[in-house]
Amino acid sequence: MTPKSLLARATAVPGVAYLLVALIVAFSILGPGFASAPNLRNIGVQSSILLLLALPMTFIIMSEGLDLSMGAVLGLAGVTLASLLAGGVALAPAAVAASGVGLVFGVINGLLVVRLGIPPFVSTLGTLGVAQGAALVATDGQSVVGIGPTLPSLYASAWMGLPFSVLVAVAVYLIFHAVLYKTRFGTYVFAIGGNRESLTLAGVHTDLYHIGIYALGGLMAGVAALLLTGRMNAGHPTAALGMEFDAIAAVIVGGTSFERGNGWLPGTLLGVLTVGVLRNGLNVVAVSSSLQVASIGALVIVALVIDSVRTSWRERT
Amino acid sequence: MGHGRFGRLAFLTVTAGVLVSCAQARDGADGEQIALFTKNQTNPYFQSIRLGADDAARQMGVEIVHYVPTRPDSIPDQMSQIEDAIIKRPDAVVFIPVDFQAMVPGVGQMNAAGIPVVNLTDRAAGGDFVSWVGCDDRTLGLNAGRYLLERMNGRGNVIILEGVGGSANSKARVGGFLQAIEEAPGVTLVASQPGNFQRLQALQVTENLLQAYPEIDGVMAANDSMALGAIEALDAANRQALVVGINGTKEAVDAIKAGKLVASTDCNGFVQGCIGAMVAIRHIRDLPVPAEFQFPQPVIDSTNYGDLDLPDEQRSCPSWESVAGSLATSPAGGG
Amino acid sequence: MSTAAAQMARRRVLSGELAGFMYRVAGVVLVCVGLSLATDAFLTVSNLLNVLRQASLIFLVASGVTLVVLTAGLDLSVGANVGLSACLAAAAIKSGAVELGIVTGLASGTGIGLLNGLMVTRLRVPPFIATYGMLWVVHGITYWYMDGQTIYDFPERFRALGSGYLLGVPIPVYLMTACLAAGGVFTRYTIWGHQIYAIGANPEAARLSGVPVRMRLNLVYTLSGAMAGLASIVYLARLNSAEADIGEPLMLPAIAAILIGGTSLFGGIGSLSGTLVGAILLTLVLNGMNLLTVGANWQPLVTGVIVLLAVWIDVATRRRAGG
Repeated sequence: MTPKSLLARATAVPGVAYLLVALIVAFSILGPGFASAPNLRNIGVQSSILLLLALPMTFIIMSEGLDLSMGAVLGLAGVTLASLLAGGVALAPAAVAASGVGLVFGVINGLLVVRLGIPPFVSTLGTLGVAQGAALVATDGQSVVGIGPTLPSLYASAWMGLPFSVLVAVAVYLIFHAVLYKTRFGTYVFAIGGNRESLTLAGVHTDLYHIGIYALGGLMAGVAALLLTGRMNAGHPTAALGMEFDAIAAVIVGGTSFERGNGWLPGTLLGVLTVGVLRNGLNVVAVSSSLQVASIGALVIVALVIDSVRTSWRERT
Repeated sequence: MGHGRFGRLAFLTVTAGVLVSCAQARDGADGEQIALFTKNQTNPYFQSIRLGADDAARQMGVEIVHYVPTRPDSIPDQMSQIEDAIIKRPDAVVFIPVDFQAMVPGVGQMNAAGIPVVNLTDRAAGGDFVSWVGCDDRTLGLNAGRYLLERMNGRGNVIILEGVGGSANSKARVGGFLQAIEEAPGVTLVASQPGNFQRLQALQVTENLLQAYPEIDGVMAANDSMALGAIEALDAANRQALVVGINGTKEAVDAIKAGKLVASTDCNGFVQGCIGAMVAIRHIRDLPVPAEFQFPQPVIDSTNYGDLDLPDEQRSCPSWESVAGSLATSPAGGG
Repeated sequence: MSTAAAQMARRRVLSGELAGFMYRVAGVVLVCVGLSLATDAFLTVSNLLNVLRQASLIFLVASGVTLVVLTAGLDLSVGANVGLSACLAAAAIKSGAVELGIVTGLASGTGIGLLNGLMVTRLRVPPFIATYGMLWVVHGITYWYMDGQTIYDFPERFRALGSGYLLGVPIPVYLMTACLAAGGVFTRYTIWGHQIYAIGANPEAARLSGVPVRMRLNLVYTLSGAMAGLASIVYLARLNSAEADIGEPLMLPAIAAILIGGTSLFGGIGSLSGTLVGAILLTLVLNGMNLLTVGANWQPLVTGVIVLLAVWIDVATRRRAGG
């Protein structure tokens, strides 16, 4: 194996993979208990909600868009779910209602972006305000409690040692993976980002699928609300604010980019895990809080610098 | 990038991690260790609590680990930190919930793991605790309100600066303010607005309210930061009003000395941190601790700021004996 | 594109922008009329001066970011920048003189801005990620440096910068006007300003026509940081204290002001005067909500709707003009 082909192989691996491995090794050495089964399980649980948001975010970013409203919509859906459960509604219809709330906001986002032509950053910033406002006004900033035992016990359940939230995350990932790489909708997603006109010329209702991408984002925010509400045993209007930024960072760190309209879904999974491993590892190693805050920013930047270096090396080989 | 490469990578990584951690296997820390959960890194109140706990832990020869959310007051962050802390198995936890209701499952997890928990400052809505240590927020508000109205001779217009909308301690403190106002029929409440416990917001809200109401004689602020923001607004607008705050921070004491702040009720973070840590450590050592620890809530004004004038780094914890006797059985509503 | 055609295109864009600007000013007037009818407290000199003062603080932060957005970039780190710069400036004032504090704040802001620029131009990190990462890093540094403490109580002559008056007008308003004038001249009448618009409109074409894209990008990010540094001084003077989170609530209002003001995130379209109108409109609404004692819970909703309306008006008029 020549050095050149070794370099070619090395640069074919996305930066996030190196980062993830480096972090895992470092934390395993520095933190006793990091690589233990309970802790790995924790990382899974802590990352599942973010993954649910990052997967549709990948599609949205691939379509050269952005969704800043996910955290707020998650909050509103969670509050809806909790209020219904507290009011005696059964879990299944309440969950459908919460997902419905998410779906509605997703469709609104899609309409604003696709029909009215308002840039995604602005559209979703606007819906963020509306969703957050609605949730705050409805709850006066308080948690909604008294949701009964059904959801919390479902959340706490496990199957073959894997917690419920991890199972949901894995299942959703597999679904998204199949959709993107094996269905026509998936090819449309690529096309909407890369070459929208040719898709329309081919007779496809491009606008419809484009709106669908945003609707998917809202829907997943609603589904994620199920997990978060189960985790907190309450609905809270602002608990998830800011998660969409983490999701965006995870997607970009994972290799999908804003401009080129291409995307790599496994990269999103790696990105989410990297963020989860970092946050968890910093706690296990008991790094001081201000250093934790700085590290998260450094991680995001380092991942992209690695990719930038990688690309320039590849261009040379 | 093929699936094969991805799969191989993942397998290698996990194997490496597990192997390395096996090589590192050792028992938990030999010394005693407690963990302190606070709400954020930016509010000086929580820094006081951390310093107090640090001092107590140092005096009693115990290690202390701090958990602070990276995003201020973030519920998911604190949830994750609880899970991460359980892995490390501290001997006891001193816990301030970022949300008194949403954190209940987290407390349940610590209970299930057999880790004793002391509840500090904000009363959690559920869960098993060794003890609760804190101030009664309603009494804080009531004492501050009564003092202010007395200084106003029971007459005039007041505004209330609330804390974070929906937070338990904000509601309780405002409740105390309102009760004080009800007791004084000559006083009118003209406005009550949230300032988020933050200085800038309180400043701008006060500014705007000064426009809306040409006669404002008193300001009741749910914490010292907001009280100081209100004072800035009054200064800038060349208006006079009497202002009270809550918390008894060093900056508030300086403002009292300078005559700008009328008073603050003491719910001092440093001493709470001390006692919280002491209760946790005593519990580890099987020493008796009371189930409830309520601090008296004296009103601090220019006559009695005494010890609060020192910056926290120079203070040291009172001894358990000096505190335990007077506090453990004191009823609410002192001062 | 020939010079004449380019000039015509630019004129069309400008007249479209002028229309948009007029709509916005009309919006401001409308809100003012509405508020003065709704409450007596609004239309007083002192209240209006307050509004201007509050708006000028947002404008100082948003002005630098406007330049960045003109190049189709983004600066999410301004809030954190204001925080760190204010804290460093506060420490410098305490240990030295007021002048040292001002220099420190400006230097800190500029330095952070320059780092952002270098990340975008040299390391080729996308602006969203670069400035988002910087936000966390700067927050971490600020938290570590302040260690939960507050630095407070500054000399009277320093505090005048934030809360003082000159000839009856708040001093920050003078700073805002100076900034608007300087920025306006820069963007409209200097070559560098035109180049910035060109980079936003079409970076490849700009590069090919000889614009030193990297240098200009570094410039706008550095300016954004410098303005954050200036804003941090004014905030410090106004609040008379520095805490680690002093800058956190600034980022979203700054971005909202820019968007309401008509600057496009795609680059090449927008102006500082638009941002000023956006800042004023935003502050008016919040001021009105306080005066009418509308609950704070409604603020995000109202802000979101205004941002959507403002941008939609632009998009709709642009579509109709065929531009």
